[in-house]
Amino acid sequence: MTDAVTNVVDISASPIISAQGIEKWYGTFQVLKGVDLEVYPQEVVVLMGPSGSGKSTLIRTLNGLESHEKGSIIIDGVALTQNPRHLEAIRREVGMVFQQFNLFPHLTVLQNITLSPIWVRRLFKPQAEEIAMQLLERVGILEQAHKYPGQLSGGQQQRVAIARALAMQPKIMLFDEPTSALDPEMVREVLDVMRSLAEGGMTMVIVTHEVGFAREVADHVLLMDQGQVVERATPAEFFLNPKEERSRQFLAQILA
Amino acid sequence: MESWQTRFKTAFSPSSRQKYWIWARQNLLSTWSNVLLTLVSLGIIATTLTALGTWIFTQAQWEVVTVNLRLIFVGRYPVEQIWRLWLVLMLLVTVPALSWGVMQGWGRRESAWGIGGGAGLVGAITLSNQGLEPTAWLCCITGIALGSGYLGAWSQQQPWGKPLKTWLPLLWFLTFFVMLWLISGGLGLTTVSTTFWNGLLLTLLVAVVSIVLSFPLGVFLALGRQSQLPVIRVVSTGYIELIRGLPLIGILFMAQVMLPLLLPPQITVDQLVRAIAGLSLFSAAYLAETVRGGLQSIPNGQWEASRALGLSTPLTLSLIVLPQALRTVVPAIVGQFISLFKDTALLSIVGLVELTGIARSITSQAEYLGRYAEVYLVLGLIYWLFCYGMSVASRRLELPSGS
Ligand SMILES: Nc1ncnc2c1ncn2[C@@H]1O[C@H](COP(=O)(O)OP(=O)(O)OP(=O)(O)O)[C@@H](O)[C@H]1O
Ligand SMILES: [Mg+2]
Repeated sequence: MTDAVTNVVDISASPIISAQGIEKWYGTFQVLKGVDLEVYPQEVVVLMGPSGSGKSTLIRTLNGLESHEKGSIIIDGVALTQNPRHLEAIRREVGMVFQQFNLFPHLTVLQNITLSPIWVRRLFKPQAEEIAMQLLERVGILEQAHKYPGQLSGGQQQRVAIARALAMQPKIMLFDEPTSALDPEMVREVLDVMRSLAEGGMTMVIVTHEVGFAREVADHVLLMDQGQVVERATPAEFFLNPKEERSRQFLAQILA
Repeated sequence: MESWQTRFKTAFSPSSRQKYWIWARQNLLSTWSNVLLTLVSLGIIATTLTALGTWIFTQAQWEVVTVNLRLIFVGRYPVEQIWRLWLVLMLLVTVPALSWGVMQGWGRRESAWGIGGGAGLVGAITLSNQGLEPTAWLCCITGIALGSGYLGAWSQQQPWGKPLKTWLPLLWFLTFFVMLWLISGGLGLTTVSTTFWNGLLLTLLVAVVSIVLSFPLGVFLALGRQSQLPVIRVVSTGYIELIRGLPLIGILFMAQVMLPLLLPPQITVDQLVRAIAGLSLFSAAYLAETVRGGLQSIPNGQWEASRALGLSTPLTLSLIVLPQALRTVVPAIVGQFISLFKDTALLSIVGLVELTGIARSITSQAEYLGRYAEVYLVLGLIYWLFCYGMSVASRRLELPSGS
């Protein structure tokens, strides 16, 4: 497959994520040094960069899990502040999948997925469960609905985590290294789910080191280094003909 | 699970007798010094038990206990109203049995425990010459408890029975108030002043109410200690550290003696209420520290995942964090409840006539002067039965488990 998967991104539309000049400090250490990021509806953006460059921090500021000190973030028209009202509104629009899955171990798979539709979107239980079952079918683990997370393999757990995030019917999905904690044979099943999400037109921001996946699915690749975006390019340009010296070094490292 | 018959047979079959012998040889008789130790221990155990047995069956005069049995259990509660306490006991046994049936099912083991317990009590009551009435009540209560256990288990086989689980907390809640009403009276029943609630009745009441009150208080203090808001954090921490640095008896004295001095004279707080307040406030500080341990064992990822799903902080706490945190500390919490139960004995020093207090007044009766041993042995047995019961129940209670 080639870039055919990629959806046509409507640049004439306004960006659904618009972050301008974000700066963040941990004490005296500046993690983000003025990052700009625009993501358009249905676009898939992959963030790459060396360890410690601030990828996780950036993606976590996009749904307010981390606060930022300078700059503005607008998600689907709502300005992100630490005001709990705004935050909860934004988190309804933005799903997130973590490296460590972070499923709730005391709840069954089905309860994990229906929790927030029931308590946040106030759906009735049968309705929420119907949605959950459809999602479980979509991620290919319908038969695990009544098990506890601890009884599932890593790949299955991560697919549950994706279904859980999707159950809020978000407009945007954030992924922070969703396959890094998985055994190699399970990486594929998770990437397949993510690929089909992209094909379905989901707007996604993904931190990953999976070059093949990025090449195939991403509309744009961003390289971060020391708290800054060094290069933004289409996958074809980025992997075959990167403009920046720093990108070349990075690619040499991960492709070696 | 194997039935007790097969267990009985395997335990006494020749091959297992051999097994016991092998086990004894390996563990008790492995070396000469070990043999010596085993013999000495056996000797000590044997002499103690014979001495105790001889005393119990030949020297002790149990009349002091049998005559005062009603006093021990319910104190000076009016005799013509005691049927109300029997009803309380019935609720006290029936509701847990029903819940157990619903949550864990009701099998032979449960029936055996129930029948065994009932028969034991009936036997003890009959032996101590209390007349027919208590025996009749006990038989009746045992039967109803067994029945409700079966009923609970049976309801779970029925299509309409499943939602019953979610109603159990409400049932307990209501039962609690019905019991309070039965004990205190009002609303059509003769009112019985709290000064007449003594003995085991008072001990149980104080313990249960203090446990029920101190639990939420402890959880709130634990959360307060972790709060982002400095005022709440400082107040919670200060409270916890202050209480943990004071002896319980001091707090009880303060509640009994100082509180009336601090309050305006027209406000009088019942002695019982003051005692419960003292115990709950004391216990809550310790519970808070236990719960805090549980809270800290919850990885940050759980908070993040929950917040990323749009759940507010109160929802995250009540649906995600607390259920997991409390589950990890259930054994420690039960341990604290057990010590709270035993701590009620201190109330006898501040003038409440609970189990220990009634024992003190019994031993000072002119006709039984000096019969401490009999009274306090029975007292110990009663305390032990309840504490051991709590400990066993908490171990048996299999919480619906994740992972
Ligand atoms: N809570 C924190 N307190 C202090 N420093 C932090 C904290 N979280 C992250 N950092 C620092 O911020 C920098 C960026 O971290 P971040 O997790 O965003 O990097 P990353 O690009 O995701 O790296 P990786 O590929 O290893 O996940 C790192 O130097 C890290 O040590
Ligand atoms: Mg990271």
